Amino acid sequence: MSETQYGRGDESPSSPFLNDQRLKIIGIAASGLFTLAVVGFLGVILYTQVNPDRFVNIIHPQFIDAFFVVLRIVAISSVLSVTGGMLVGLGRISETLPTRGIAKGYIEFFRGTPLLFQLIVIYSGIPAFWPPGQFPIANFSVPAAIIGLTLNHSAYIGEAIRGGVEAVPDGQMEAARSLGMSYAQAMREVVLPQAWRNALAAIGNDQVILVKDTSLLSVLAVPEIISTVQNINSATFDIWTPILWAAILYLAITIPLGKFVRYLEARADPTGGPR
Amino acid sequence: MSTRPLVEYESVDKYFGETHVLKEVDLAVEEQEVVVVVGPSGSGKSTLLRCANRLEEIQGGEIRIAGDLISGPDANVNRLRQQVGMVFQSFNLFPHMTATENVAVGPRKVKGVPESEATKRADDLLGRVGLGDQTASYPAELSGGQQQRVAIARALAMDPKVMLFDEVTSALDPELVGEVLGVMKDLATEGMTMLTVTHEMGFAREVGDRIVLMSDGEVVEQGAPESFFESPETERGERFLERLL
Repeated sequence: MSETQYGRGDESPSSPFLNDQRLKIIGIAASGLFTLAVVGFLGVILYTQVNPDRFVNIIHPQFIDAFFVVLRIVAISSVLSVTGGMLVGLGRISETLPTRGIAKGYIEFFRGTPLLFQLIVIYSGIPAFWPPGQFPIANFSVPAAIIGLTLNHSAYIGEAIRGGVEAVPDGQMEAARSLGMSYAQAMREVVLPQAWRNALAAIGNDQVILVKDTSLLSVLAVPEIISTVQNINSATFDIWTPILWAAILYLAITIPLGKFVRYLEARADPTGGPR
Repeated sequence: MSTRPLVEYESVDKYFGETHVLKEVDLAVEEQEVVVVVGPSGSGKSTLLRCANRLEEIQGGEIRIAGDLISGPDANVNRLRQQVGMVFQSFNLFPHMTATENVAVGPRKVKGVPESEATKRADDLLGRVGLGDQTASYPAELSGGQQQRVAIARALAMDPKVMLFDEVTSALDPELVGEVLGVMKDLATEGMTMLTVTHEMGFAREVGDRIVLMSDGEVVEQGAPESFFESPETERGERFLERLL
């Protein structure tokens, strides 16, 4: 695997460093050692800590449930936070001072305080306005999780979109307005499509973080992956089997998500993409 | 129809902060006239042009397009801009659209022309600027000269009454300048009214009906190309021409 990658460097000697034989040997040695260490560590874990029978048959149904809980929360929060982030981002670049100020304050608060804090405010703080036991939503943990993740990630996506818009040269707006387009038309037809492309990588990055942020939902008693690890560990005293399952399940979401974002980026590329 | 000039500047003042960049400028461009504005860098030529479709606000005076005030607070800027085609030094093509889409987007979105009709017209215009075989190309796939010709077609697609050219060849490699000037010359021959800022004195002399010399935000001299280039009336004009040699 690493062999072929180094081979590719040979064919395009763009930098003198790539042709340095010694550097190449050091690189191969370092990556070889690293691979060996990882494989060895995994081998030791699998051999000494994990019972293959239990790995496959006993534990995984609980994880499958947790996986789908996480997947559902991610799917909903993802759609809502990208939509919310658009609004926040547009507010941030608005020419109206109050709109811009509100968007800025929103971003400062939700980026400036920990997500865990925000989740507690929503999950425990909001029901406190009702007399004990009177809060109308019975199972508030999943709704609270979705609200918290959405509000938090809308702030990050808003910033990504603002950055994307600011990276579009002023001449684009001028050219569009010179054709007689209104400000809104110029934004819709010319600026935002380019801003979206500019912001895609940052938005994708944020969505991967959103997946990993679901690990915090254990404090809201959401039956997600980390709380499943802890439950199984305290019931069976087995830690490495649930840890391995957790790793597999997180990567099962984040790796395809990353690929999907790269696909969107390629599709949005004006010369390499559509038609 | 009207006998009024297509573009009228009346004692126009423009400031960038403290800097007085246009000083009581008076200028009129008659129908079918090709006016070429020349002058040293920083003399206000580009600003003068950009005020004509209100990409810049002016602080004093008036600017009219075909008799309609474009500089006032009540001006219908979006409507008046449709009558003024603008071509920029840096092309400013829309990178996410093909050449055809770049040219068709204005008529489609601003005038509501149906897509099939706008596309056909766009391809015709691209043919007119010599790019009939590049209609499906994205700007990144075109040379600078080709991009600038798409930009000219894009401005023409709105059927403007007057075209503004803002140093449109300054960003081009020397060997690509000719193809763009050729298209502009054809336009002038066909009777398009043009207000052009350029450093191409050969073009100014050959195609221009009138040369306007600007210096420090003022129009210091204007006249027919032959008289301007042979025997400038002002000392400022003489110095400008001397420096060209």
